[in-house]
Amino acid sequence: MRRYLALILAALVIIVWAPAADAYLKLGTRVGNNIVNAKFNTFPIRYFVTNRDVPGVTAQQAQQAYDRAFATWHAVPNTGMSSQFVGFTGANPGAADGINVLGFQNRPDLDRVLGSTSITTNSTTGEILDADIFFNSTFAWSVAQGGEAGRQDLESIALHEIGHLHGLGHSMIGETELVGGGRRVLGAEAVMFPIAFSAGTVNRTLRADDIAGISDIYGDSTFRTSTGSITGRVTKNGTGVLGAHIVAFNPASGKLVGGFTLSDDGTFTIAGLEPGPQVVRVEPLDDGDISSFLDPALNIDVNFKVVFYNKLVVVPRGGTAPSIEVKVVAK
Amino acid sequence: MIRLRGIAALFLLLALPAAAGAQQPYVTSGARAGKMEVSAAAAWTGGYDDGVAAAQLTRNPTTGSSPLTLFNANGRMQSGAGFEGRLGYYLSSRVSVEGTFQYTRPTLRASLSNDFENAAPTDADVNVSTYIFGGSVLYHFGSGPFVPFVLGGAGYLRQLEEAASDATSGAEIHGGGGIKYWFGAAQRVGLRVDAQISSRSKSVGFEDKRRVVPSLAGGIAFLF
Repeated sequence: MRRYLALILAALVIIVWAPAADAYLKLGTRVGNNIVNAKFNTFPIRYFVTNRDVPGVTAQQAQQAYDRAFATWHAVPNTGMSSQFVGFTGANPGAADGINVLGFQNRPDLDRVLGSTSITTNSTTGEILDADIFFNSTFAWSVAQGGEAGRQDLESIALHEIGHLHGLGHSMIGETELVGGGRRVLGAEAVMFPIAFSAGTVNRTLRADDIAGISDIYGDSTFRTSTGSITGRVTKNGTGVLGAHIVAFNPASGKLVGGFTLSDDGTFTIAGLEPGPQVVRVEPLDDGDISSFLDPALNIDVNFKVVFYNKLVVVPRGGTAPSIEVKVVAK
Repeated sequence: MIRLRGIAALFLLLALPAAAGAQQPYVTSGARAGKMEVSAAAAWTGGYDDGVAAAQLTRNPTTGSSPLTLFNANGRMQSGAGFEGRLGYYLSSRVSVEGTFQYTRPTLRASLSNDFENAAPTDADVNVSTYIFGGSVLYHFGSGPFVPFVLGGAGYLRQLEEAASDATSGAEIHGGGGIKYWFGAAQRVGLRVDAQISSRSKSVGFEDKRRVVPSLAGGIAFLF
Protein backbone atom coordinates (compact mmCIF):
# COMPACT_ATOMS: atom_id res chain seq x y z
CA MET A 1 0.00 0.00 0.00
CA ARG A 2 1.38 3.31 -0.97
CA ARG A 3 1.45 6.25 1.33
CA TYR A 4 1.34 9.70 -0.09
CA LEU A 5 2.97 12.81 1.16
CA ALA A 6 1.88 16.19 -0.05
CA LEU A 7 4.55 18.85 -0.12
CA ILE A 8 3.70 22.49 -0.41
CA LEU A 9 6.83 24.21 -1.56
CA ALA A 10 8.14 27.56 -0.63
CA ALA A 11 7.03 29.96 -3.25
CA LEU A 12 8.99 32.37 -5.34
CA VAL A 13 8.48 35.78 -3.87
CA ILE A 14 9.41 39.26 -4.83
CA ILE A 15 10.29 40.65 -1.42
CA VAL A 16 10.48 38.38 1.56
CA TRP A 17 12.67 37.60 4.48
CA ALA A 18 15.28 35.27 3.13
CA PRO A 19 18.94 34.58 3.70
CA ALA A 20 21.90 35.56 1.61
CA ALA A 21 23.64 32.30 1.11
CA ASP A 22 24.73 29.65 -1.32
CA ALA A 23 23.46 26.17 -2.05
CA TYR A 24 21.23 23.97 -4.08
CA LEU A 25 18.87 21.68 -2.28
CA LYS A 26 17.00 18.61 -3.32
CA LEU A 27 13.47 18.00 -2.12
CA GLY A 28 12.98 14.80 -0.25
CA THR A 29 11.37 12.97 2.55
CA ARG A 30 12.78 10.93 5.38
CA VAL A 31 12.21 7.20 5.26
CA GLY A 32 13.66 5.63 8.37
CA ASN A 33 17.18 6.96 8.66
CA ASN A 34 17.44 7.85 4.98
CA ILE A 35 16.35 10.81 2.91
CA VAL A 36 14.58 9.80 -0.29
CA ASN A 37 14.79 12.36 -3.06
CA ALA A 38 11.59 13.50 -4.74
CA LYS A 39 11.84 12.84 -8.47
CA PHE A 40 9.96 11.69 -11.51
CA ASN A 41 10.71 8.12 -12.44
CA THR A 42 9.18 8.18 -15.91
CA PHE A 43 9.33 10.61 -18.78
CA PRO A 44 7.91 12.54 -20.52
CA ILE A 45 6.29 14.56 -17.78
CA ARG A 46 2.74 15.08 -19.05
CA TYR A 47 1.21 18.39 -18.06
CA PHE A 48 -2.01 20.37 -18.53
CA VAL A 49 -2.44 24.15 -18.57
CA THR A 50 -5.36 25.92 -16.92
CA ASN A 51 -7.42 27.57 -19.62
CA ARG A 52 -7.40 31.05 -18.11
CA ASP A 53 -6.13 34.31 -19.57
CA VAL A 54 -4.75 37.16 -17.51
CA PRO A 55 -4.13 40.75 -18.64
CA GLY A 56 -1.31 40.70 -21.14
CA VAL A 57 -1.00 36.90 -21.32
CA THR A 58 -3.38 34.42 -22.90
CA ALA A 59 -3.52 30.82 -21.78
CA GLN A 60 -1.92 29.82 -25.06
CA GLN A 61 0.94 32.30 -24.61
CA ALA A 62 1.38 31.04 -21.07
CA GLN A 63 1.56 27.45 -22.33
CA GLN A 64 4.27 28.45 -24.80
CA ALA A 65 6.25 30.09 -22.00
CA TYR A 66 5.90 26.97 -19.84
CA ASP A 67 6.99 24.85 -22.77
CA ARG A 68 10.12 26.93 -23.26
CA ALA A 69 10.90 26.69 -19.55
CA PHE A 70 10.49 22.90 -19.59
CA ALA A 71 12.74 22.77 -22.65
CA THR A 72 15.42 24.79 -20.87
CA TRP A 73 15.56 22.29 -18.03
CA HIS A 74 15.43 19.35 -20.37
CA ALA A 75 18.33 20.70 -22.42
CA VAL A 76 20.63 19.96 -19.47
CA PRO A 77 22.86 17.23 -20.88
CA ASN A 78 23.03 13.69 -19.57
CA THR A 79 19.76 13.83 -17.66
CA GLY A 80 17.26 12.21 -20.04
CA MET A 81 14.35 14.44 -19.02
CA SER A 82 11.45 15.34 -21.30
CA SER A 83 7.91 16.73 -21.09
CA GLN A 84 4.71 16.76 -23.07
CA PHE A 85 1.90 19.30 -23.13
CA VAL A 86 -1.36 17.33 -23.03
CA GLY A 87 -3.95 20.07 -23.35
CA PHE A 88 -5.85 22.91 -21.71
CA THR A 89 -8.06 22.17 -18.74
CA GLY A 90 -10.61 23.90 -16.60
CA ALA A 91 -8.95 22.44 -13.49
CA ASN A 92 -7.00 24.67 -11.19
CA PRO A 93 -3.50 23.80 -10.05
CA GLY A 94 -3.18 22.58 -6.49
CA ALA A 95 -5.38 19.51 -6.36
CA ALA A 96 -3.77 16.15 -5.68
CA ASP A 97 -5.68 14.60 -8.57
CA GLY A 98 -2.86 12.73 -10.25
CA ILE A 99 -2.45 15.17 -13.11
CA ASN A 100 0.12 17.91 -13.43
CA VAL A 101 -1.47 21.33 -13.91
CA LEU A 102 0.15 24.72 -14.48
CA GLY A 103 -1.88 27.90 -14.56
CA PHE A 104 -2.90 31.25 -13.19
CA GLN A 105 -4.89 31.75 -10.04
CA ASN A 106 -5.86 34.99 -8.38
CA ARG A 107 -4.46 34.93 -4.85
CA PRO A 108 -4.42 38.51 -3.52
CA ASP A 109 -3.96 37.08 -0.02
CA LEU A 110 -0.47 35.95 -1.08
CA ASP A 111 0.66 39.44 -1.86
CA ARG A 112 4.36 38.57 -2.00
CA VAL A 113 4.09 35.24 -3.77
CA LEU A 114 4.54 35.16 -7.53
CA GLY A 115 4.11 31.44 -7.88
CA SER A 116 4.16 28.21 -5.96
CA THR A 117 4.59 24.53 -6.67
CA SER A 118 2.95 21.66 -4.85
CA ILE A 119 3.97 18.09 -5.36
CA THR A 120 2.65 14.78 -4.11
CA THR A 121 5.16 12.00 -3.70
CA ASN A 122 5.20 8.38 -2.79
CA SER A 123 6.71 8.72 0.66
CA THR A 124 8.46 5.38 0.37
CA THR A 125 10.11 5.76 -3.00
CA GLY A 126 10.08 9.53 -3.41
CA GLU A 127 8.46 9.24 -6.83
CA ILE A 128 6.57 12.39 -7.77
CA LEU A 129 2.99 11.42 -8.50
CA ASP A 130 1.42 14.82 -9.03
CA ALA A 131 2.92 18.28 -9.39
CA ASP A 132 1.04 21.54 -9.86
CA ILE A 133 2.20 25.11 -10.29
CA PHE A 134 0.15 28.23 -9.80
CA PHE A 135 1.13 31.71 -10.92
CA ASN A 136 -0.44 34.52 -8.97
CA SER A 137 -2.49 36.70 -11.31
CA THR A 138 -2.54 39.41 -8.66
CA PHE A 139 0.71 40.48 -10.29
CA ALA A 140 1.23 41.83 -13.80
CA TRP A 141 2.82 39.30 -16.16
CA SER A 142 4.63 39.44 -19.46
CA VAL A 143 5.68 37.02 -22.16
CA ALA A 144 7.38 39.67 -24.29
CA GLN A 145 10.59 38.44 -25.82
CA GLY A 146 12.69 41.08 -24.10
CA GLY A 147 10.55 41.43 -21.01
CA GLU A 148 8.49 44.44 -19.97
CA ALA A 149 9.14 47.01 -17.28
CA GLY A 150 6.81 46.65 -14.33
CA ARG A 151 5.76 43.12 -15.27
CA GLN A 152 7.13 39.79 -14.16
CA ASP A 153 8.57 37.62 -16.88
CA LEU A 154 6.43 34.47 -16.93
CA GLU A 155 9.09 32.28 -18.53
CA SER A 156 11.66 33.20 -15.85
CA ILE A 157 9.27 32.46 -12.99
CA ALA A 158 8.09 29.28 -14.70
CA LEU A 159 11.69 28.16 -15.00
CA HIS A 160 12.08 28.51 -11.23
CA GLU A 161 8.83 26.71 -10.41
CA ILE A 162 9.48 23.92 -12.90
CA GLY A 163 12.76 23.39 -11.08
CA HIS A 164 10.67 22.66 -7.98
CA LEU A 165 8.38 20.47 -10.02
CA HIS A 166 11.39 18.31 -10.87
CA GLY A 167 12.39 18.00 -7.21
CA LEU A 168 14.77 20.89 -6.66
CA GLY A 169 14.53 23.03 -3.55
CA HIS A 170 15.74 26.58 -3.27
CA SER A 171 19.28 27.57 -4.01
CA MET A 172 21.06 30.11 -1.90
CA ILE A 173 23.59 31.57 -4.26
CA GLY A 174 22.56 35.16 -3.91
CA GLU A 175 22.89 38.32 -1.91
CA THR A 176 20.09 40.51 -0.62
CA GLU A 177 19.51 43.80 1.16
CA LEU A 178 16.89 44.98 3.59
CA VAL A 179 14.19 47.09 1.96
CA GLY A 180 11.10 48.31 3.76
CA GLY A 181 10.93 45.48 6.24
CA GLY A 182 11.58 42.90 3.57
CA ARG A 183 14.56 41.74 1.58
CA ARG A 184 15.47 42.56 -1.99
CA VAL A 185 17.84 40.50 -4.05
CA LEU A 186 20.97 42.34 -5.17
CA GLY A 187 22.31 39.52 -7.25
CA ALA A 188 21.95 35.80 -7.63
CA GLU A 189 23.63 33.05 -9.57
CA ALA A 190 20.87 30.48 -9.55
CA VAL A 191 17.41 30.42 -11.07
CA MET A 192 16.38 28.54 -7.93
CA PHE A 193 17.19 31.47 -5.64
CA PRO A 194 13.95 32.09 -3.73
CA ILE A 195 13.61 35.82 -4.38
CA ALA A 196 12.84 36.94 -7.91
CA PHE A 197 14.58 39.72 -9.76
CA SER A 198 12.36 42.74 -10.09
CA ALA A 199 12.01 42.37 -13.83
CA GLY A 200 13.90 41.33 -16.94
CA THR A 201 14.64 38.07 -18.66
CA VAL A 202 18.11 37.22 -17.34
CA ASN A 203 16.65 34.34 -15.35
CA ARG A 204 15.51 32.46 -18.43
CA THR A 205 18.96 30.88 -18.34
CA LEU A 206 20.06 28.17 -15.94
CA ARG A 207 23.23 28.68 -13.93
CA ALA A 208 25.88 26.22 -12.83
CA ASP A 209 24.19 25.65 -9.48
CA ASP A 210 20.85 24.84 -11.14
CA ILE A 211 22.49 22.48 -13.60
CA ALA A 212 24.47 20.72 -10.87
CA GLY A 213 21.33 20.35 -8.79
CA ILE A 214 19.11 18.90 -11.50
CA SER A 215 21.94 16.68 -12.70
CA ASP A 216 22.47 15.41 -9.18
CA ILE A 217 18.86 14.18 -9.28
CA TYR A 218 18.53 12.96 -12.86
CA GLY A 219 22.12 12.68 -14.10
CA ASP A 220 23.18 9.52 -15.87
CA SER A 221 26.47 7.65 -15.75
CA THR A 222 28.07 10.13 -18.14
CA PHE A 223 27.31 12.93 -15.70
CA ARG A 224 28.65 10.89 -12.78
CA THR A 225 31.88 10.03 -14.53
CA SER A 226 32.53 13.51 -15.93
CA THR A 227 31.99 15.49 -12.73
CA GLY A 228 33.11 15.12 -9.15
CA SER A 229 32.14 15.90 -5.59
CA ILE A 230 33.37 17.60 -2.46
CA THR A 231 32.43 16.20 0.90
CA GLY A 232 33.27 17.21 4.41
CA ARG A 233 32.15 18.72 7.69
CA VAL A 234 31.61 22.20 9.06
CA THR A 235 32.48 22.40 12.74
CA LYS A 236 32.52 25.00 15.48
CA ASN A 237 34.48 24.21 18.63
CA GLY A 238 34.66 20.63 17.45
CA THR A 239 30.91 20.24 17.06
CA GLY A 240 29.05 19.88 13.78
CA VAL A 241 27.19 22.91 12.43
CA LEU A 242 23.73 22.30 11.00
CA GLY A 243 22.45 24.55 8.24
CA ALA A 244 25.76 26.03 7.11
CA HIS A 245 26.01 26.95 3.45
CA ILE A 246 29.03 25.84 1.52
CA VAL A 247 29.85 27.13 -1.93
CA ALA A 248 32.44 25.72 -4.27
CA PHE A 249 33.93 28.19 -6.72
CA ASN A 250 35.88 27.04 -9.74
CA PRO A 251 38.31 29.86 -10.62
CA ALA A 252 38.93 28.32 -14.03
CA SER A 253 35.32 28.57 -15.14
CA GLY A 254 33.84 31.07 -12.68
CA LYS A 255 31.10 28.62 -11.76
CA LEU A 256 29.52 28.61 -8.32
CA VAL A 257 27.81 25.52 -6.93
CA GLY A 258 26.49 25.26 -3.42
CA GLY A 259 25.83 22.68 -0.76
CA PHE A 260 24.44 22.50 2.70
CA THR A 261 25.16 20.80 6.00
CA LEU A 262 22.01 18.81 6.53
CA SER A 263 22.72 16.90 9.70
CA ASP A 264 23.80 17.62 13.25
CA ASP A 265 27.31 16.36 12.63
CA GLY A 266 27.81 19.11 10.05
CA THR A 267 28.45 16.87 7.07
CA PHE A 268 27.85 18.01 3.53
CA THR A 269 28.29 16.88 -0.05
CA ILE A 270 28.36 19.00 -3.17
CA ALA A 271 28.01 16.99 -6.34
CA GLY A 272 28.13 17.89 -10.01
CA LEU A 273 31.36 19.87 -9.84
CA GLU A 274 33.78 20.33 -12.69
CA PRO A 275 37.09 18.58 -12.09
CA GLY A 276 39.92 20.81 -10.91
CA PRO A 277 40.79 23.12 -8.03
CA GLN A 278 37.90 24.70 -6.16
CA VAL A 279 37.69 27.46 -3.57
CA VAL A 280 35.40 26.58 -0.66
CA ARG A 281 33.54 29.26 1.26
CA VAL A 282 31.21 28.72 4.23
CA GLU A 283 28.59 31.12 5.53
CA PRO A 284 25.69 31.04 7.95
CA LEU A 285 22.01 31.35 7.18
CA ASP A 286 21.86 34.32 9.44
CA ASP A 287 19.59 37.03 8.14
CA GLY A 288 16.48 35.57 6.67
CA ASP A 289 13.61 33.18 6.77
CA ILE A 290 15.13 29.78 7.32
CA SER A 291 11.88 28.19 6.22
CA SER A 292 12.63 29.23 2.66
CA PHE A 293 15.34 26.61 2.70
CA LEU A 294 15.15 24.23 5.64
CA ASP A 295 12.76 23.05 8.28
CA PRO A 296 12.75 25.93 10.80
CA ALA A 297 12.24 23.41 13.59
CA LEU A 298 15.80 22.25 13.06
CA ASN A 299 18.56 23.58 15.26
CA ILE A 300 20.12 25.80 12.61
CA ASP A 301 23.33 27.48 13.79
CA VAL A 302 23.71 30.97 12.35
CA ASN A 303 26.20 32.29 14.87
CA PHE A 304 29.46 32.04 12.99
CA LYS A 305 31.56 34.16 10.66
CA VAL A 306 31.87 33.71 6.94
CA VAL A 307 35.11 31.87 6.24
CA PHE A 308 37.18 30.49 3.39
CA TYR A 309 38.68 27.02 3.68
CA ASN A 310 42.46 27.45 3.68
CA LYS A 311 43.08 24.71 1.13
CA LEU A 312 42.17 24.47 -2.50
CA VAL A 313 40.12 21.33 -3.00
CA VAL A 314 40.94 19.51 -6.22
CA VAL A 315 37.86 17.71 -7.48
CA PRO A 316 38.61 14.47 -9.32
CA ARG A 317 36.77 13.49 -12.48
CA GLY A 318 34.18 10.87 -11.57
CA GLY A 319 35.08 10.78 -7.91
CA THR A 320 35.04 12.56 -4.58
CA ALA A 321 37.83 14.67 -3.16
CA PRO A 322 39.14 13.58 0.25
CA SER A 323 36.88 14.79 3.03
CA ILE A 324 37.63 18.22 4.44
CA GLU A 325 36.80 19.92 7.72
CA VAL A 326 36.01 23.61 7.70
CA LYS A 327 36.28 25.16 11.12
CA VAL A 328 34.18 28.23 11.83
CA VAL A 329 34.20 30.57 14.81
CA ALA A 330 31.39 32.38 16.55
CA LYS A 331 30.67 35.98 15.58
CA MET B 1 79.58 41.95 -54.28
CA ILE B 2 76.92 41.33 -51.68
CA ARG B 3 76.43 37.86 -53.02
CA LEU B 4 80.10 37.16 -52.72
CA ARG B 5 80.08 38.18 -49.05
CA GLY B 6 77.16 35.85 -48.40
CA ILE B 7 79.00 32.97 -49.92
CA ALA B 8 82.06 33.79 -47.88
CA ALA B 9 80.03 33.85 -44.65
CA LEU B 10 78.49 30.49 -45.44
CA PHE B 11 81.90 29.07 -46.10
CA LEU B 12 83.13 30.27 -42.73
CA LEU B 13 80.14 28.74 -40.92
CA LEU B 14 80.71 25.45 -42.61
CA ALA B 15 84.38 25.65 -41.84
CA LEU B 16 83.96 26.25 -38.10
CA PRO B 17 82.79 22.77 -37.16
CA ALA B 18 85.65 21.33 -39.12
CA ALA B 19 88.04 23.56 -37.23
CA ALA B 20 86.51 22.48 -33.94
CA GLY B 21 86.77 18.90 -35.01
CA ALA B 22 90.41 19.43 -35.70
CA GLN B 23 90.85 20.37 -32.03
CA GLN B 24 89.30 17.16 -30.80
CA PRO B 25 92.56 15.38 -30.02
CA TYR B 26 93.09 17.52 -26.94
CA VAL B 27 89.55 17.14 -25.57
CA THR B 28 90.11 16.11 -21.99
CA SER B 29 86.62 15.75 -20.55
CA GLY B 30 86.60 12.04 -21.14
CA ALA B 31 83.34 12.31 -23.02
CA ARG B 32 83.40 10.56 -26.34
CA ALA B 33 81.21 8.36 -28.48
CA GLY B 34 79.88 5.37 -26.62
CA LYS B 35 80.32 6.86 -23.16
CA MET B 36 77.39 7.13 -20.80
CA GLU B 37 76.67 9.81 -18.25
CA VAL B 38 74.45 9.59 -15.23
CA SER B 39 73.63 12.59 -13.08
CA ALA B 40 71.51 13.49 -10.07
CA ALA B 41 70.64 17.01 -9.06
CA ALA B 42 68.56 19.20 -6.85
CA ALA B 43 65.99 21.07 -8.92
CA TRP B 44 64.00 24.26 -8.66
CA THR B 45 61.12 25.42 -10.87
CA GLY B 46 59.93 28.99 -11.07
CA GLY B 47 56.43 30.23 -10.36
CA TYR B 48 53.95 32.06 -12.52
CA ASP B 49 50.73 34.00 -12.16
CA ASP B 50 47.68 31.88 -12.73
CA GLY B 51 45.07 34.51 -13.41
CA VAL B 52 42.55 36.54 -11.49
CA ALA B 53 39.08 35.14 -11.06
CA ALA B 54 36.04 36.80 -9.53
CA ALA B 55 33.15 34.87 -8.04
CA GLN B 56 30.31 36.87 -9.51
CA LEU B 57 26.54 36.92 -9.24
CA THR B 58 24.16 38.14 -11.90
CA ARG B 59 22.95 41.55 -10.82
CA ASN B 60 19.27 42.24 -10.26
CA PRO B 61 18.68 44.79 -13.06
CA THR B 62 16.99 47.24 -10.73
CA THR B 63 20.02 47.40 -8.41
CA GLY B 64 22.76 47.90 -10.98
CA SER B 65 24.18 46.68 -14.24
CA SER B 66 27.59 45.25 -13.40
CA PRO B 67 27.89 41.78 -11.85
CA LEU B 68 27.97 41.57 -8.08
CA THR B 69 31.36 40.29 -6.93
CA LEU B 70 31.11 37.81 -4.08
CA PHE B 71 34.91 37.60 -3.72
CA ASN B 72 38.11 37.60 -5.76
CA ALA B 73 40.65 34.83 -6.23
CA ASN B 74 44.15 35.67 -7.44
CA GLY B 75 45.94 32.55 -8.56
CA ARG B 76 49.67 31.87 -8.55
CA MET B 77 51.73 28.75 -8.94
CA GLN B 78 54.56 29.19 -6.49
CA SER B 79 58.10 28.08 -7.18
CA GLY B 80 58.92 24.55 -6.12
CA ALA B 81 61.90 22.43 -5.18
CA GLY B 82 62.65 18.83 -6.00
CA PHE B 83 65.21 16.68 -7.74
CA GLU B 84 66.03 15.25 -11.12
CA GLY B 85 67.97 12.40 -12.60
CA ARG B 86 69.48 11.98 -16.08
CA LEU B 87 70.96 9.14 -18.03
CA GLY B 88 72.86 10.14 -21.18
CA TYR B 89 74.66 8.47 -24.05
CA TYR B 90 77.35 10.19 -26.10
CA LEU B 91 76.94 9.86 -29.83
CA SER B 92 80.19 11.78 -30.24
CA SER B 93 82.40 13.85 -28.02
CA ARG B 94 80.08 16.80 -28.56
CA VAL B 95 76.61 15.32 -28.98
CA SER B 96 74.74 13.23 -26.49
CA VAL B 97 71.17 12.17 -25.90
CA GLU B 98 69.67 11.65 -22.50
CA GLY B 99 66.54 10.64 -20.70
CA THR B 100 65.34 12.79 -17.84
CA PHE B 101 63.15 12.39 -14.81
CA GLN B 102 62.28 15.47 -12.75
CA TYR B 103 60.14 15.76 -9.64
CA THR B 104 59.17 19.06 -8.04
CA ARG B 105 56.42 20.07 -5.64
CA PRO B 106 55.24 23.63 -6.17
CA THR B 107 52.22 25.12 -4.43
CA LEU B 108 49.15 26.41 -6.25
CA ARG B 109 47.80 29.32 -4.27
CA ALA B 110 44.56 31.31 -4.48
CA SER B 111 44.65 34.58 -2.58
CA LEU B 112 41.04 35.22 -1.60
CA SER B 113 39.94 38.75 -0.88
CA ASN B 114 37.22 41.41 -1.21
CA ASP B 115 34.52 39.19 0.21
CA PHE B 116 31.03 40.71 -0.03
CA GLU B 117 30.28 39.60 3.52
CA ASN B 118 33.69 40.52 4.91
CA ALA B 119 35.25 37.10 5.24
CA ALA B 120 38.88 37.53 6.28
CA PRO B 121 41.32 37.46 3.34
CA THR B 122 42.84 34.00 3.12
CA ASP B 123 45.36 32.09 1.05
CA ALA B 124 44.06 28.70 -0.07
CA ASP B 125 46.82 26.36 -1.14
CA VAL B 126 47.35 22.96 -2.61
CA ASN B 127 50.69 21.28 -3.21
CA VAL B 128 51.12 19.88 -6.69
CA SER B 129 53.49 16.96 -7.25
CA THR B 130 54.93 17.47 -10.72
CA TYR B 131 56.65 14.73 -12.68
CA ILE B 132 58.40 15.13 -16.03
CA PHE B 133 59.64 12.20 -18.05
CA GLY B 134 61.59 13.54 -21.00
CA GLY B 135 64.36 13.29 -23.46
CA SER B 136 66.97 15.81 -24.63
CA VAL B 137 69.68 16.25 -27.18
CA LEU B 138 72.80 18.00 -25.89
CA TYR B 139 75.57 19.75 -27.79
CA HIS B 140 78.78 20.37 -25.85
CA PHE B 141 81.20 23.17 -26.54
CA GLY B 142 84.89 23.35 -25.93
CA SER B 143 86.91 20.91 -23.96
CA GLY B 144 88.82 20.60 -20.76
CA PRO B 145 87.31 20.46 -17.34
CA PHE B 146 84.74 23.15 -18.08
CA VAL B 147 82.28 22.05 -20.75
CA PRO B 148 79.40 24.36 -21.58
CA PHE B 149 76.46 22.81 -23.35
CA VAL B 150 73.07 23.58 -24.81
CA LEU B 151 70.14 21.23 -24.92
CA GLY B 152 66.63 20.88 -26.22
CA GLY B 153 63.99 18.23 -25.90
CA ALA B 154 60.47 17.25 -25.00
CA GLY B 155 58.71 15.35 -22.29
CA TYR B 156 55.55 14.07 -20.69
CA LEU B 157 54.18 16.05 -17.77
CA ARG B 158 52.04 14.61 -15.01
CA GLN B 159 50.75 16.55 -12.03
CA LEU B 160 48.98 15.28 -8.93
CA GLU B 161 47.57 17.50 -6.21
CA GLU B 162 48.58 16.62 -2.68
CA ALA B 163 45.67 14.34 -1.90
CA ALA B 164 46.32 12.56 -5.20
CA SER B 165 42.65 12.81 -6.06
CA ASP B 166 43.19 14.25 -9.51
CA ALA B 167 45.86 14.08 -12.17
CA THR B 168 46.67 16.39 -15.03
CA SER B 169 48.76 15.21 -17.93
CA GLY B 170 50.32 17.12 -20.76
CA ALA B 171 53.33 17.57 -22.95
CA GLU B 172 56.28 19.87 -22.48
CA ILE B 173 59.15 21.08 -24.61
CA HIS B 174 62.28 22.52 -23.12
CA GLY B 175 65.47 24.24 -24.03
CA GLY B 176 68.41 25.66 -22.18
CA GLY B 177 71.98 25.18 -21.34
CA GLY B 178 74.48 24.67 -18.62
CA ILE B 179 77.98 23.71 -17.74
CA LYS B 180 79.77 20.60 -16.62
CA TYR B 181 82.97 20.61 -14.63
CA TRP B 182 84.93 17.38 -14.64
CA PHE B 183 87.34 16.59 -11.83
CA GLY B 184 90.76 14.98 -11.83
CA ALA B 185 92.74 13.18 -14.47
CA ALA B 186 90.18 10.47 -15.13
CA GLN B 187 87.50 13.04 -15.87
CA ARG B 188 84.81 10.65 -14.71
CA VAL B 189 83.24 12.65 -11.91
CA GLY B 190 81.94 16.14 -12.29
CA LEU B 191 79.50 18.83 -11.34
CA ARG B 192 76.64 19.79 -13.60
CA VAL B 193 74.45 22.90 -13.58
CA ASP B 194 71.41 23.31 -15.85
CA ALA B 195 69.20 26.29 -16.62
CA GLN B 196 66.14 25.62 -18.74
CA ILE B 197 62.86 26.99 -19.94
CA SER B 198 60.00 24.50 -20.12
CA SER B 199 56.82 25.19 -22.08
CA ARG B 200 53.97 23.04 -20.77
CA SER B 201 50.75 22.35 -22.62
CA LYS B 202 48.68 21.85 -19.48
CA SER B 203 49.02 22.14 -15.76
CA VAL B 204 46.91 22.11 -12.63
CA GLY B 205 45.64 25.64 -12.25
CA PHE B 206 42.95 28.20 -12.86
CA GLU B 207 43.70 28.91 -16.49
CA ASP B 208 43.84 26.21 -19.12
CA LYS B 209 46.72 27.49 -21.19
CA ARG B 210 50.34 26.82 -22.06
CA ARG B 211 52.77 27.76 -19.29
CA VAL B 212 56.41 28.74 -19.55
CA VAL B 213 58.33 27.61 -16.47
CA PRO B 214 62.00 28.33 -15.77
CA SER B 215 64.00 25.72 -13.94
CA LEU B 216 67.45 25.36 -12.42
CA ALA B 217 69.25 22.21 -11.39
CA GLY B 218 72.64 21.51 -9.89
CA GLY B 219 74.24 18.22 -8.96
CA ILE B 220 76.82 15.60 -9.63
CA ALA B 221 77.57 13.63 -12.79
CA PHE B 222 79.46 10.42 -13.57
CA LEU B 223 80.92 9.20 -16.86
CA PHE B 224 81.35 5.53 -17.52
